[in-house]
Amino acid sequence: MPPLTDDIYQAAVQRPARFKNPKWKTPYRRHKPLRQLLSDEQKRLNNTDVDNKDGTNGNARKDFNQVTYFSLDAYPSLKPRKHYCDITGLKGNYKTPNNGLRYYNVEVYNDVIKTMTSGVDQQYLELRNANIVLK
Amino acid sequence: MTVIKVKSNKELPPQKIYYLPDQISPDSTEPYNSHYGAGIPIAIDFGTSDMRIGLTNNLSPSNIFPSVISRYRDRKLAQTLTFVGYDVYLDSSFKSSLKTPFDGPLITNWDYVEWMLDYSFHHIGVDSDGFVDNPIVMSELLGAPSQQRKNMLQLLFEAYRVPKVTFGIDDLFSYYQNNGKNGLVIGAGNQAINIIPVINSKPILTEAKRINWGGSLCVDYLSKLINLKYPYFPSKINNHQFEILMRNHCYVSKDYQEEINHIFDLNVLEKTDVLIEAPYVENVQPIKTEEELKRIAEKRKESGRRLQEQAQKSRLEKLIQKEKDYEYYTKLKNSLEELNKKQIIHTLEAEGFDDESDFKKYYNNLEKSIKRARKADIGGNNDEIESETPPEFPLVDIPDDQLTEDQIKEKKTQKFLKANYDARKKAHEEKLLEKKRLEELEIQEEKWRKEDLNGWIQDKRKKLNSVLKKKKDRKKLREELNDRKSHAAQIRMKNIAVLAAENSVPNTSGNNTRSSKRKRTITIDNDPNDTFGANDDDWAIYRDIANVEDEDEIEEENQLMLKLEADLLQYDPNFSIENTYDSQFNWRKSIIHKFLRGPRDYDSEKTQHQYQFHMNIERIRVPETMFQPSIVGVDQAGISELSENIIVNRLPSEGFYSKNEIEKAPIINDIFLTGGLSHFKNFDERLKNDFTSFLPVNSKINIRRAIDPRLDAWRGMAKFSNNIDSKNAFITKQEYEEMGPDYIKEHNLGNFGYF
Repeated sequence: MPPLTDDIYQAAVQRPARFKNPKWKTPYRRHKPLRQLLSDEQKRLNNTDVDNKDGTNGNARKDFNQVTYFSLDAYPSLKPRKHYCDITGLKGNYKTPNNGLRYYNVEVYNDVIKTMTSGVDQQYLELRNANIVLK
Repeated sequence: MTVIKVKSNKELPPQKIYYLPDQISPDSTEPYNSHYGAGIPIAIDFGTSDMRIGLTNNLSPSNIFPSVISRYRDRKLAQTLTFVGYDVYLDSSFKSSLKTPFDGPLITNWDYVEWMLDYSFHHIGVDSDGFVDNPIVMSELLGAPSQQRKNMLQLLFEAYRVPKVTFGIDDLFSYYQNNGKNGLVIGAGNQAINIIPVINSKPILTEAKRINWGGSLCVDYLSKLINLKYPYFPSKINNHQFEILMRNHCYVSKDYQEEINHIFDLNVLEKTDVLIEAPYVENVQPIKTEEELKRIAEKRKESGRRLQEQAQKSRLEKLIQKEKDYEYYTKLKNSLEELNKKQIIHTLEAEGFDDESDFKKYYNNLEKSIKRARKADIGGNNDEIESETPPEFPLVDIPDDQLTEDQIKEKKTQKFLKANYDARKKAHEEKLLEKKRLEELEIQEEKWRKEDLNGWIQDKRKKLNSVLKKKKDRKKLREELNDRKSHAAQIRMKNIAVLAAENSVPNTSGNNTRSSKRKRTITIDNDPNDTFGANDDDWAIYRDIANVEDEDEIEEENQLMLKLEADLLQYDPNFSIENTYDSQFNWRKSIIHKFLRGPRDYDSEKTQHQYQFHMNIERIRVPETMFQPSIVGVDQAGISELSENIIVNRLPSEGFYSKNEIEKAPIINDIFLTGGLSHFKNFDERLKNDFTSFLPVNSKINIRRAIDPRLDAWRGMAKFSNNIDSKNAFITKQEYEEMGPDYIKEHNLGNFGYF
């Protein structure tokens, strides 16, 4: 590996930064993945709800209209779901009986689906979250 | 003759080649801002893909860089170096440990955020000691969880001791920058698509919706699609390259259902297919000189000829032996006619036959096999035999006892030569007969054709169909044999079992009665006792159990098929080139070919072709996910459906305008598109089509895009911070210390308070 040039060394972020509070110490923070952050937020919201019902500021209307990360989530579509061929993206009128892949016509079935090595079908299904996840 | 309508490949011009975009490789390190001023607000657009930072007295952010970080351990210095943004791409060793502080839309690693803020303030040029003397305007998520804001406030107030901070939603900042007051803001971002109605400059967050799908997920989707489409693609394409491919080539379909119906029509594909080529090195074969090539060809020819000769010779020898046998048994047969029954049986038993029928069978088989052998090429040019003067073999007919030793030797050779000559002559005659037979057949055919064209066509078609059916059956059988449980495979196992059982019981009956002569000559194709093989299909058993295909038979069948097709092409007005068997393998008819290889032929031998891939349906398939998230398994409604519900149902029922006067509502006059994904071609037209379908007839729909979807959010932040609007939006350090991190000041561009 070639040695790094001075230029590149200069580009590294310098610490301590002079504009920072000298008393500041980076706190230890437990790393929480997305899923846990969301469940924490959900818990927090549930607890505040209880406070409201206790009569501190019980405004039912406001509760209903509360804007949270979760209330903003778009709802599922009410329109009939359209099906597409998993391989080509064309209309997917047919479905294989053994793994549920959707396909456009017999050519796709014979040339692609039949000759698929094992596991590839699951990769295709994963594209639309329909794969089987073993836990 | 039918006119061949399909154009040959050579007439098509070569397709335009797009080259795979380069990977990120910055020429120099991230520049530093030299015009720092204390007290000027700093705007930080903290996006999941890019960070945009700068002092708000500028028109544009001074630094834009990807939100990535890499911590690199330098062994020589015994030190860990941290690189942020484009600097990560300065050296390939940093790239391997590339990280982002985000997990999906949320910040999960605050240590990285701290490094990135250090880096940002440093590059902005902050030069005060112990604090950052600038108000901060920062972007945050729509409906961000409180923990996100809490941590950010803590960092800004406690680590950097900034005087005051305000947060806002990037899509609203962008709308603000574009002077929107009443409208529907559609922010198609990197991790989420937000739809926010704004009325009288106030966002109606209670009716806003978020689709958990965005730009980086689209890039992932595209990369998975291409990787599955070309599993053996020789070079690796990274996400950055896919991102550029998506930006350059994807577009929103105006009418998806309609467009996918025709996307693989050749004239459509010609326009929509995009050919992308990865860099490759042509594999150059060492070129041989002409002389070398000649020598190699000569050598090959020579050895081929030798082999052929050997084979011919052995065939000829076999034939001669058979002819001799035939002659012997013919004499025997003739002599039998004069004998009585008892004598016949006696003679035959002496010759090693069971009875008369056994002999007949053997005799007939011998006759057949000789005929077959004669048809095969047995060496020499048989056509010349006619012009040759018959050679003479004077010694052959003289008995041995009248000859000297040398002459006996000579006689032996002459005998062999004579047999050779006779065999060849007979073979030639046989061939002439065959030729004549074919000629006669041809004449008959022609006569039939002239008298009854329809009947002739029917007959040919019937024959062609039967050949095609055979082909199909064979293919089916082959497929079935791959499946151990199929009927065909079971039959095969049964056959093997039967054969194995036969072999284990030696066939003793009648063997000892045979003479030594018979025993010597018994081979697999002349054992007269065995009726196996009398029917040609009997041989198929070996093919069946060995699971191999008879190539000769397939070849014969192909020849027959081609001949029939040629005849039909010539005489049947309803049979065109498109009806031929081969034409179904024409790539122009193959969806898979067009999907994988576009509107041109593909040559798997060409290195260039191996390094090419095509984007055709992907170009619309990827952006379509914003309108139908169900395509990628996100169980949420798409942009148009959500907008419809907001405009037609939710806002009227909340009393913003009357349901009967939707066409007069100002919101439909300003459908505003922003965010990184809004650049897609036809995005506005698609929205217009969709909106027209659900809004009243005389609605005046107006759709516009942000002037600069990438930077308008930052510019809106800068505009906001210097405007009277923001006067009451900032939280000061003192307020933070008094009220804690949950304190929020609501303003028209930010989230509402937490409860």
